[in-house]
Amino acid sequence: MQHRRRRRAAEDAGINITPLLDIVFILLIFFIVTTSFAKEFGVDMNRPSNAPVKERERAEVIAVRIAFDGSIFVEDRAVDLRAVRANIETGLARKPQASVVVVAHRDADAGLMVRVVDQARVAGASNVSLAAAR
Amino acid sequence: MAVKRGRAAEEDEEISLTPMLDVVFILLIFFIVSTSFVKEPGLTPQRPLAETAAAKARGNILIGVSATDAIWMHKRRVRMDDVRPLVEAAVAESPESSVVVVADRRASTGAVIDVMDRARAAGVANIAVAARQEGQEV
Repeated sequence: MQHRRRRRAAEDAGINITPLLDIVFILLIFFIVTTSFAKEFGVDMNRPSNAPVKERERAEVIAVRIAFDGSIFVEDRAVDLRAVRANIETGLARKPQASVVVVAHRDADAGLMVRVVDQARVAGASNVSLAAAR
Repeated sequence: MAVKRGRAAEEDEEISLTPMLDVVFILLIFFIVSTSFVKEPGLTPQRPLAETAAAKARGNILIGVSATDAIWMHKRRVRMDDVRPLVEAAVAESPESSVVVVADRRASTGAVIDVMDRARAAGVANIAVAARQEGQEV
């Protein structure tokens, strides 16, 4: 009996942290369950805003066209995907200020479009934008 | 003196919760800070390969485009017209967020560009297309 009374006295002295602990545990479980660490990897895409077919001066643009069947044309010359980078590098050497515009046919594979944009980036083009062609 | 000895006896008999509480608080703070509430699109397409693919730190609005040009958001299939209001709602929730279009490599470019245009119309300036780097798991 005496023992119990002493315990109650000790509890009164300190603040009871059990409800706090309950809340903290519930929050912890909530955040553990909802957290997902999956980081998405991606390639940034620029779309020429509002005026997709805005004609820039031809001297400033390296046009890369992707046809519906997946064939690639750099400046109206048919090239292989592996040669896109070298072709754009050549174009940039001639026109260092040029921006690359990838004009993809709507039925072309998105994967091919991403790879062409990626290759243009690798070639050193600072400004790569994407346009759709019908 | 008698009181002090009584308290010591009591501490021996109960487990001290303080260190556990410290650990739990640290875990809680870690999870609060690292949570970003990514909205999974609900499909796992084959991402295209890209050398310049970089991790998108705040890419938490994910829009999936399947090989058959079906659009997925929030783990369900949506129509093209629903993309803009859904992205607008997500941006209203967290204005810092950016859009990542998770397109299958066999999806058509037209569908991907349409999705990007609608995301842009919803007010997101930062749009990327998901890709994977060489050697990374699909």
